[in-house]
Amino acid sequence: MIWPALILLFMFILAPAIEIFRASIFDPEFTTEHINRIFGRDIYLTILWRTIKVSLVVSVLCAVIAYPVAYFIVKRPRQQQFAFLFLIFVPMWMNILIRTYAWMVVLGREGIINSTMIALGLIDESIQMLFTSGAVYVSMIQILLPIQIVTCYSAMTEIDFDLVRAARILGASPAQALRRVFLPLSLDGTITGMIIVFMLSMGFFITPALVGGPTDLMLANLIEMQVEQLNWGFAATIAILLFTSTLLFVLVIRSLSKMLTKFLGGGNL
Amino acid sequence: MKQANVYILRLLAALMSMVIFIGHANTQSRELVVAGAGGVVANTSQQIYLDPLSLDHDINITRVSAEARRMAQLEAMVRSGNVLWDTVELSASDYPIGVKKDLLQRIDYNIVDPMQLLPALSRREFGVAVSAYSRVLVVRSDKLPDGDTLSSWADFWNVGKFPGPRSLSGRPEDNLEFALLADGVPLDKLYEVLSTEEGLDRAFSKLDEIKPHITVWWRSGAQSVQLLSDGEIYFSTTFNGRVSAVRESGIPVEIVWNGGALHLSFLGIPKGAKNVEEAHIYAHERATNAEKMGQYIKVIPYPGFAAGLTDYVDPEEFVSLPTHPDNLLVQFSANEEFWVDNLEKIEERWNEWLLQ
Repeated sequence: MIWPALILLFMFILAPAIEIFRASIFDPEFTTEHINRIFGRDIYLTILWRTIKVSLVVSVLCAVIAYPVAYFIVKRPRQQQFAFLFLIFVPMWMNILIRTYAWMVVLGREGIINSTMIALGLIDESIQMLFTSGAVYVSMIQILLPIQIVTCYSAMTEIDFDLVRAARILGASPAQALRRVFLPLSLDGTITGMIIVFMLSMGFFITPALVGGPTDLMLANLIEMQVEQLNWGFAATIAILLFTSTLLFVLVIRSLSKMLTKFLGGGNL
Repeated sequence: MKQANVYILRLLAALMSMVIFIGHANTQSRELVVAGAGGVVANTSQQIYLDPLSLDHDINITRVSAEARRMAQLEAMVRSGNVLWDTVELSASDYPIGVKKDLLQRIDYNIVDPMQLLPALSRREFGVAVSAYSRVLVVRSDKLPDGDTLSSWADFWNVGKFPGPRSLSGRPEDNLEFALLADGVPLDKLYEVLSTEEGLDRAFSKLDEIKPHITVWWRSGAQSVQLLSDGEIYFSTTFNGRVSAVRESGIPVEIVWNGGALHLSFLGIPKGAKNVEEAHIYAHERATNAEKMGQYIKVIPYPGFAAGLTDYVDPEEFVSLPTHPDNLLVQFSANEEFWVDNLEKIEERWNEWLLQ
């Protein structure tokens, strides 16, 4: 019986999504007013581009950091693996807002880093770390990293390590075995994780709002502003813009990763 | 009338009705559902207003916390014809949206204020003012240059005389008036100037001057006082009601009433509310009972206009209330209608300006 699931899916996901799409062009009659407004001024596309840029940087950095961590865990004995995974899960259970506030305590003018550096005599005056784009990157990466590690890890557990051993027996150097056997096999999980992180980043708004500077406005912040004023139509249009551009970039990442897998697996030594 | 998203609104309303229905299995003859802020505001109004009211009039009162997206929830209920709230607390900016979107019903002042004791400014057609709050400049007095006090918006703009990190709200409707005041516009000419294109340009070019010195544009009242407490910021705007908590935690902060923005918040009755009579009884208590208001503002310093309120307030505390005559004199009344009509246009310019 798949019907109950389909009905739930339709009622709570598909129908509202269709409704948002409808609201963006019918208000209540057919109108391109909202779409014209988005393309009529630079502000919306500027913020869209910023959102995409932040999300891409966060997802790439998460992937780069998570990969060796996941590899390290997968190589441990079973018992230890669970212990490490548990450690990674703990911060994930914490509310995003709390973790963001924790970063504010760490990065602030009178925060832990600044006061330690002043006490050690490394700096004379506090450095502005909070309310900068850097703070947004650091806290978003910290918040999203566990998701990437876990996705990466579960993909790596599927890999048959005998294949790596076979490559070594057939004369590959450790680096070659890693690059031509292990990396292509694990790439899929990494890309999946990257896509999840990318999609989550595109919708972030609490963290940039709290630790970011004046220019760290994300598209989700704009949607929130419109909903606040009950401008459902325009809010829906921005949501559609966010949705389509996210979809587009996910497809781009997917096809790039396919090319990369082919290149790594089939390329010359 | 924009009627987009009826489906989502209905779904929201249905979900909310389920929630309320569950907590509501036992029904008495008289009912009242009161929606408003949660936290300390909820507890205080429960003790001072709702519990006694429930006993005296034999009304079964349900309190619903509605903070974020309150107006969206209200719209959902009114449009779907299933109104669950009988009264709702409306902030200064909620009220004109509620009027514009036709979500509120007329207040019957024969019940709410039969003696006609409330001042005209608090008797609005679709809501009765129950409290006043101010957005004011707040200063960390320990971070000031020796012997100097910051006392006006011009001083806030004077970064040479008063150096230090500053913060303002990240929303245009919280700032443009202050910029004009700093530029020398008198209190009673603010909205006249702001309504013109030149006036808007004037406000933005004044903001250009201060922009490099704004370390952070705050997004919630809680954040603004947090910044002051942590020493991230020396001078910031915030709501007057949040200042005493900071002071009590031992941090020296002073309110600059000069040039503050006075806002009223209201109690409204949604269109299609089920218990209109009980709602009016509650509105009467909230707006006119001076004794209870006196107790209430000991906890939450947002006073209303009940006649004789001064008898129930400690004179020393009265000085730090937004409705003290001295404070009223130096503040301006925020014009919410202006902002409802102009916010969309100005907000676009504001966001562009912020990103430059």
